[in-house]
Amino acid sequence: MDQERIEFCYHYTLGPEWQHQIVDGIGATLKDNKILTMPENIADGGSIFLEVTPGLSVLLLDMTFKVPVAITRVPTDQNYYMVYFDIGDEITTHIIGNTVHKAGYHAKLGMGFMDCSMKGVIMPPVGQRSYSLRLFIEKGHMKELAASTRDLETNNLLFDESKNTLLFYSHIDSRSKILLSQLKENDFISPSFELKLKSTALYLLGYLVERASRFEPIINKLSHQDIERVFQTSGYLMANLQAEFPGLQKMADMADMSVSKYKGLFKKILKDSPNQFFLNEKLLLAQQFLQSGNFNNVQEVAYELGYSSPNYFAKVYKNMFDTLPGDVLIKQNSSL
Amino acid sequence: MKEVVHQYGVELDWVAGLAAQIGGYVDGNYIRIADEVQQGNRYVLPINDHLTAFIIDVTYRQDVVFKLRNTRSDFVGLYFNLSEGDSIHILNNVSRSAGRWGYNLGIFDADLNGDFQVKSGSTTYMIAIFIKKTALKQYLSGIPQHQQIVESIFNPELNTIVRFDRMSNHAWWLMNELRKSPPAGPLYDVFITGTVYGLIADYLDQLINQEIIIGQVLPEDVGNILSSQAWLITHIETAFPGIQALATEANMSETKYKKLFKKISGISPHAFFLSNKLSCAKEMLETGEFTIGEIADKFGFFDSSHLIEQFKHTFGVTPKEYLSQL
Repeated sequence: MDQERIEFCYHYTLGPEWQHQIVDGIGATLKDNKILTMPENIADGGSIFLEVTPGLSVLLLDMTFKVPVAITRVPTDQNYYMVYFDIGDEITTHIIGNTVHKAGYHAKLGMGFMDCSMKGVIMPPVGQRSYSLRLFIEKGHMKELAASTRDLETNNLLFDESKNTLLFYSHIDSRSKILLSQLKENDFISPSFELKLKSTALYLLGYLVERASRFEPIINKLSHQDIERVFQTSGYLMANLQAEFPGLQKMADMADMSVSKYKGLFKKILKDSPNQFFLNEKLLLAQQFLQSGNFNNVQEVAYELGYSSPNYFAKVYKNMFDTLPGDVLIKQNSSL
Repeated sequence: MKEVVHQYGVELDWVAGLAAQIGGYVDGNYIRIADEVQQGNRYVLPINDHLTAFIIDVTYRQDVVFKLRNTRSDFVGLYFNLSEGDSIHILNNVSRSAGRWGYNLGIFDADLNGDFQVKSGSTTYMIAIFIKKTALKQYLSGIPQHQQIVESIFNPELNTIVRFDRMSNHAWWLMNELRKSPPAGPLYDVFITGTVYGLIADYLDQLINQEIIIGQVLPEDVGNILSSQAWLITHIETAFPGIQALATEANMSETKYKKLFKKISGISPHAFFLSNKLSCAKEMLETGEFTIGEIADKFGFFDSSHLIEQFKHTFGVTPKEYLSQL
């Protein structure tokens, strides 16, 4: 907080040329036009960038920052969508627009899909490893892939930039999570690493298209202000999971929108209604609590999360995870 | 029996010929054929200038013998094969059941032709990857252990690329993941490409821990080694006959026999024999009808503790633990 942040602006490109901004801007070194190594005084580690197929590139970042930085991805008229996967050990503070989006342990949305015309700021934690992967998908390619999963008319509407903004934030789906954690076990310098990274990027793209085909299409344009305000409220929910759901009216007021507009935008960006989103996050936190070894029984966890009835808590928990909270509880001081 | 003479390559000029030979036709990336003859899909996907994938997912309705007669020699074929049923690989008139000894990955130089016989009713799921030798050479030169011999590996005067191997769990998972994807549309191509890169990566990892033996191999040599392996399998209950006897049987010198055996299967004749013995012992154990002592006796181990020791060494658990986990 007190230390002055190094501020840095850049934007990605589908090809490798964007890397020169990092070289010129903060003195990173670039090898083979794909491996960036950060200057020692700023961070340990670096990144690897590969063009996978025509229309798909991938960037894997593995860095531990030594000083506070604010990295701003400036909007660009390049022709791609970016998908972000956070697989770090710790929180990366994410800012979309001006909203601090803390990807925290208890409330971490590790995945985001956005247009390259959208601004983004990242403030990685100092002294913690940041590990993340980004896909860059050429817009026409994405549209073509999506077209194979739904009717043409809806697809054309979804990809019509004058009518619709494509953006969503969510948890990383479990299939992608498995691939990412497998990738994380591999060393950058192993001879098969680039092939594995390409393979992972293609599978992540495939899974993304399959998953997005199940989203209810909500067609509308989002202003930067709309997006910021929705993230403000989702951030509020994630920071207050131990309380009760504040109610739609209050949330809409907070976003300075009508309830119906708020509901629509929230669902578009976060793929759930505010209430459902809150409940999911709460239960994910419950799962963490149950397995943390810090509680003696299910009742304590229920109370901690603001449920007055442990039975009701058990019921909703079972609905989501198919197991009773008692079955996953690791008791305080119990030895395994 | 239907006979199909065909060739492969990174370039796609072989596709129409293969389609005509099997009595089908080319439809975009597919080779279509009447369901009565073969049910399923053949799908060709060029990935880049040095890489083409060919996916075969078919159930045969008639006996077919595929005769691979390549005219190009600039590529290597990586055949990841999950076939069920009677498919037989023939090299120099030696036939053996594919997959019978746990081989489900074949790496063959384009120069090495072979016949592949498929029985009616069998199901093949195979991903064949054709990769230019120049590209494979580049991948291999990234492995420090093999850097010194990489020139020799790709020198046809010195070496023939041939290997029967077992795919890793991850490769198996990748193939099954691809199989879940509907075989059509641009999304299928994304999954195929992801699978192909993953399979090559996986094989490179496998190679890191393997010794690559340089040597020229003729199809007759491969045939002799395979028939020697077949002989070992049929005599699995006896004691190891010794290298001398095996080499004589295969019409080779002992040195040549040992070297070739290791080159194409990755292990020594004795290790091959023992590992198959243990696999058979394991199968027998699974029936639950025999004691460990009986099994040890049947396969010629000194005694129970010898079998237990070898079993644990190979499978990581003792026979008893293995049984309790079944």
